[in-house]
Amino acid sequence: MIQSRMSVAGFDVRVWSGGVGPPLLYLHGFEHHPGAAPYLQRLAADRHVLAPEHPGFGASTGFDRLTDLQDLILYYRALVESWGHGPVDVIGHCLGGMFAAELAVLAPQLVRRLVLVDPYGLWLDAEPLPDPFLLAPAALAAVKWSDPACASRETTAFDAALGDTAAEFRTINLTAASKFMWPIPDRGLARRLPYLTAPTLVIHGEADRLTPPAYEAAWAAALPHARTAVIAGAGHLPMVEAEDAFIAVVGEFLEEARRPPAYEVGARGVRS
Amino acid sequence: MKFHWFAEATYPHLADDFPKQGLSSWVSTPTSLMDPVKVGETYRMFIRLMQQADRDGFDGLAVNEHHQTPFAMTPSPNLLAASLASTTENAAILIIGDSLALYNPPTRVAEEMAYLDCVSGGRVIAGFVFGTPMDSVFSYGNPPPELRDRFHEARELILRAWEAKEPFAFNGKYTQLRYVNVWPKPIQQRPPIWVPGSGSLETWDLVIDENYCYGHLSFSGLHSAKPMVDAYWDYVASRGGDTNPHRMAFTQLICCAATEAEAEAKYYEAVRYFYRMNTLDPKFTMAPGYTTIRSQQAMAARLRDAPNLRPEDRARAAKGEMSFWEYDEKGYIIAGTPQRVRQRVRELATDLRVGQLIGCLHMGNLPEETAAENTHLFGTQVIPHLRDLWADQPDHWTPPISQQRIAARSQAAPKQAFEAAE
Repeated sequence: MIQSRMSVAGFDVRVWSGGVGPPLLYLHGFEHHPGAAPYLQRLAADRHVLAPEHPGFGASTGFDRLTDLQDLILYYRALVESWGHGPVDVIGHCLGGMFAAELAVLAPQLVRRLVLVDPYGLWLDAEPLPDPFLLAPAALAAVKWSDPACASRETTAFDAALGDTAAEFRTINLTAASKFMWPIPDRGLARRLPYLTAPTLVIHGEADRLTPPAYEAAWAAALPHARTAVIAGAGHLPMVEAEDAFIAVVGEFLEEARRPPAYEVGARGVRS
Repeated sequence: MKFHWFAEATYPHLADDFPKQGLSSWVSTPTSLMDPVKVGETYRMFIRLMQQADRDGFDGLAVNEHHQTPFAMTPSPNLLAASLASTTENAAILIIGDSLALYNPPTRVAEEMAYLDCVSGGRVIAGFVFGTPMDSVFSYGNPPPELRDRFHEARELILRAWEAKEPFAFNGKYTQLRYVNVWPKPIQQRPPIWVPGSGSLETWDLVIDENYCYGHLSFSGLHSAKPMVDAYWDYVASRGGDTNPHRMAFTQLICCAATEAEAEAKYYEAVRYFYRMNTLDPKFTMAPGYTTIRSQQAMAARLRDAPNLRPEDRARAAKGEMSFWEYDEKGYIIAGTPQRVRQRVRELATDLRVGQLIGCLHMGNLPEETAAENTHLFGTQVIPHLRDLWADQPDHWTPPISQQRIAARSQAAPKQAFEAAE
């Protein structure tokens, strides 16, 4: 994967890209961009992967141009349009899952297939999510991993050469994430999901307690046409803890023959 | 030099082993630990003490805003201020302050402060605060990176609402109002504005640009504050700002008694309660984005540079492990006879270039009668001896009517009369 910068609509962000083949947009989670992660490289083996860093994260600019979530999704619409491939596959992990689902709602013409990995965006009063901003490192590890020993395998886009410390890099990222997740990571996606028509796969790590199992059911109920895959031996980052299973299930879903979706679309384009 | 009466409205009945229970005294403190009847008694005590402070010659009665904590049970300072505005005569009503981002719409602040200014006859000082992370982002749910933006939009709206002669439309990012036309308006066309802070450079720029009074509301005293306050004044000077000491407020715990032995006997338990029971869980102090990276770096450097207060000292102070006189020596409290207290306050005010001292005359679980004695001794035997401090500099940051009334009062009862009583 090659790291470069990409300027679209006044936002100048870092991107990691690589591979040749069908276009795939990867949107990262609330903690950080994963950099040239092994699973991105494997996805790029037979696809053209573009993994931008969200505005305000790491060394990516434009956060002060965002008043709300819609501003960010319009930016991602412009980014995909400027990429020039027409509709693309989109994988969104964690907070990136919220963004990916919003993008598929706002710009259905640009999203061919959608994969949401342990996504944020829904809220259940009966099953309140843990507050990711409040968890001390050990407590975060306990809810994030199936096996906390896997933490050493997680990659990040932290770059000491840019002058920030690792702690500052994390603060910068969580500050930007808080715009969309504080105090509750629900910006109204549930009432927009009925407009989501792209074929969708929702992946959950079986041991994820950041977005716990009750949310599998919530996503399934909100997206009756979507498929659900639960990956054993994985927490909030199945692509790290169970990379092979993750690549397999994503590949199977994305490589299915292009065909009309098996669900009905209402007269106004909204599932009834 | 001006002297304002203040106390955190602390719940005084927490069990002695509260600090050992591992609970935070902010945000998530179990409400089962509180008896509302006793809370009411505590509020009435503070009202009585502040009414007395008005009679004893204080320049201001300070009220503040905190949420979800037994350390300071004042969710709306305007409510406490309302109790004082109609029952006191001279002292400024120092609201320090309203957390602007937490009022929706913020015209509420313009209305309530105007109400208080009308009731008090023009004695309001308008403090505008960001609120601590515990208050503004944890208890009230503001996304941290929006807090400053919301504060500034609210500030702009409030100031326009006070100034406007006719209804106007306000199309903000967070507040939209078609007809802003607040009734009433304050008696003071624009009350003096104070903005407290804990060292953020962005706040320094604000108070310099707008010539507001800056407040450093620490409870850790001279040695803790010295690096920050020195850096603040250097920053003001470097930006060509107004270095008038009346633009700087500082909080200080005060423990006055007839003798030093009496001070220790009467105040030590309350001082320990004040610090020990403030068991703030660190996770509620650090919301990402509440403090900019630039300010974090500057603040961390100043903390390292505090030559007379080591991190171990701060930890011991918080655990109640200092002796009474070590609290005094390290600056957390100023204790002793009025003669000693006035000397130490003079040194503090001179060293930090502070023209507005916010004295904490009650702390922790101090009995009311001791706080009343403290208030009387400080008001009558300390304040009159320190009026010469910064007397050559105009004070544009307290209400003119309070300045006039208190000056007239002290001329009617000259200092010598108090000295006879010592």
